[in-house]
Amino acid sequence: MTDALILVLVVAASYLAARVAFEWLARRFVIVSGAEYLLLGILLGPQVSGILSRETVESFAPIATLGLGWMGALLGAQLVLHRLVRIPAVLYRVALVESLLTVAFVAALLTFALWVGLEVTRDEAIVAATALGAVAVASASAGVAVVARQLGRRTPVVRQLEVSTATNALVAIVTSGILFALVHRTPPGAGRPLTPTEWAVVTIAIGVVGGALFHLFVGEERKVDRLFVSLGGAIILVSGAATYLRLSPLLAAVCFGAVLGNTTRNRAEIVAALERVERPLYFALLVLAGAAWRPSVRAWSLVILLFLGTRVAAKLGAARLAARWNGMLPLLGANWGRGLIGQGGLALAVALSYLYQDEVPLPNLVFTAAVASVLLTDVLSARFVRSLLGVDLLDARPAPAPAEPVTPPVATGAG
Amino acid sequence: MRRLVILALLFGAMQLVLPLGASAHGSQWLLTFGFLILAAYSVGELAVVVRLPKITGYLAAGVLFGPSVFNTVTTQAIGELRPVSSLAIALIAYLAGAELRWEEVRKRGITIVKILGAELLLGFVALSATLATLGDRLPFLQGTSGASRLAFAVIFAAIAVVHSPAVVMALLSETRAGGPVARTTLGVVLVSDVVVVVLFSTVLAIARAVVPPTGANVAGLSLGIIVWELAGAVIVGALLGGAVALYLRFVRHELVLFAIVIAFFGMVIAQLAHVETLLALLTAGFVTENFSRHQDGEAIRHAMERSAAPVFVVFFALAGAEMGLRQAAMVWPLLLPIIAVRTAALWAGTRIGVRWARAPRETRDVWMGLVPQAGVAIGLAAAVAQAYPVRGSQMRTLFLAVVAINQVIGPILFRLALNRRGEIAGAAGEPTPVQPHPAIR
Repeated sequence: MTDALILVLVVAASYLAARVAFEWLARRFVIVSGAEYLLLGILLGPQVSGILSRETVESFAPIATLGLGWMGALLGAQLVLHRLVRIPAVLYRVALVESLLTVAFVAALLTFALWVGLEVTRDEAIVAATALGAVAVASASAGVAVVARQLGRRTPVVRQLEVSTATNALVAIVTSGILFALVHRTPPGAGRPLTPTEWAVVTIAIGVVGGALFHLFVGEERKVDRLFVSLGGAIILVSGAATYLRLSPLLAAVCFGAVLGNTTRNRAEIVAALERVERPLYFALLVLAGAAWRPSVRAWSLVILLFLGTRVAAKLGAARLAARWNGMLPLLGANWGRGLIGQGGLALAVALSYLYQDEVPLPNLVFTAAVASVLLTDVLSARFVRSLLGVDLLDARPAPAPAEPVTPPVATGAG
Repeated sequence: MRRLVILALLFGAMQLVLPLGASAHGSQWLLTFGFLILAAYSVGELAVVVRLPKITGYLAAGVLFGPSVFNTVTTQAIGELRPVSSLAIALIAYLAGAELRWEEVRKRGITIVKILGAELLLGFVALSATLATLGDRLPFLQGTSGASRLAFAVIFAAIAVVHSPAVVMALLSETRAGGPVARTTLGVVLVSDVVVVVLFSTVLAIARAVVPPTGANVAGLSLGIIVWELAGAVIVGALLGGAVALYLRFVRHELVLFAIVIAFFGMVIAQLAHVETLLALLTAGFVTENFSRHQDGEAIRHAMERSAAPVFVVFFALAGAEMGLRQAAMVWPLLLPIIAVRTAALWAGTRIGVRWARAPRETRDVWMGLVPQAGVAIGLAAAVAQAYPVRGSQMRTLFLAVVAINQVIGPILFRLALNRRGEIAGAAGEPTPVQPHPAIR
């Protein structure tokens, strides 16, 4: 109980401190980060100080899972179709090509490295490398949001970065969700084993049924308190069901959020209710993720270095290629991918959900890679974007077509 | 109809999901928690349709989906969700303290003390006598005689006189009632928590001296420990309340998060300091409410109510799930005299107290709000089972059955009293509503 008290106090105190310092730091130093919470978690966790025992961290796993679900639901709720169709298609094409190339490049290279370097089976290498690909594709939206706010207007690069970070998030979540469905094993005594396609459908169905239930439950209710209870209940149910079935709580919650975002008349109230709890949960998620970290027993340092290098190369290269193939290179510049290098909570969330899958290969390696990447890039994510835009601002040209700004996939902190 | 469809869908979904997965990383905890929020809330709204309190619906949901009937919420899941109940009790205690305003205590204090004194004394004596008379018919008194029989009878009576601030608070919030019956009942149940804890600790300490427990937790309770448990709780609570008041004055950010942290922090600190948790949080709430600016006190109360909403729904549902229907069915002939004596003592004691205090006639209906029993009572029964593993466990089984029945009829009776006196918002008269609670609104 004392451990739990320490954990709660640390999260609460650091959150409140950050609450006070957050705006100032972002304004003054262009630092938007959650990495300090991650580091705090590592320092408190069983690997460093041992203040939080492994049992305590494990007992708080439901909170972390809820954090994953909440993050996914908020992302999904922002995928509003009638808004999305107003964004020029070319931005999606660039973003999608960049995302898929990044996943493919990182997964392919690391499959080879893991297979040869760590002497794991080919299948194990493919699974772990695909998870690393899913982690690699995620990029922080917080830096883009802060710089865009400072800039006061949306240049073509900012718009592309907003669309790309959102697309990156979706691709990361969908990739990991499909991966979990592929490697899923039906527990003994559960009847006929389900195929991966069926598991994928189950993941989506959890979200869709959760969304439908929420509608039935809430009806036309607009009271924030009632919305909050129903929303909380539905997200807890959706993320709990997905985790219980060893599926992706992130993907199920994204589906849930998307159903809500596209079918409700209370979208603004729902997003407000989601955002109200998102930040405390996000910080708790980061601390718990840090505390859950365990170094891989394999010779992991080289693999991590390889992951970090590959990811940066993949982001820069894939962004350039995607822009070139879609005729956007003159507008975006050759280095626009620099704005996607920063990684935040979403990368950790994907890695954490992989860590919570009990039967996947190299979970600690994948998680360590995500932790290292976030620690190295999160603090600097806004600076990457600003340095990019500093050049871009000199010859900023109008966007290809008027487009409504894309809301970042998750609120400021959670990029 | 819509609520029934939701329940059918939820139940069906759980039946599909449960066999396909396996619990790990607390996933079943989360799944059950989410299910209970939605299912209990739906049953609560169904209860309103048939003019029953929402809490009765939450309890019914617990019974329905608990181990006694459908077993969707398994015994293991209930065990995993126990921290939610502890948190809920902490939140309830804090909110209860925050409802106690000094002016009100001064205004109604004498009435409350006299009613409480009369009904507690009468209930305690009558129940002790009834149990001693039932003797060997009660499993936990079989084979006892003389002092030991009296000791166990008195322990049972000390638990059986407990009321439920949680149910009263919840029902007052739901109905927005605020007349003399509502305010007096609230005062009585809040003060009774403190008194009953003192009474229980004293009785248990004496019982341990008379009948030393064997093969159990034999660390006896000295007078010093009892005094520390109570006085320490007041000190810890006052410090916590003072800290909250300072926070509200100088920071006042993120109150929803802060509210949960206070409850959790207070609960853990009380456990670490070995002081009475309920009393500590009750004091904290009282100090915060009475020593901070009006708008600050109101803000934290609202924040706590908001963050507590899902926790309360699950708490009552879990209380329902823990009710041993089968056990109750097995011992039902013994339940009737116990419940009848308790109810009669409440009725008579309240009347005596009202007359003694020269309180308004309508406050004679306060007894109906004293019938419900919930978390605190269950907690005290668990403490007895810990002290006396064999007889204490038998006593707990019987007591849970008593609680089950009081839990069901209690909210209905109290609502009836409020309705009869026109204290429910929208009913006759113009009551001053207590803060409505979102979970039970």
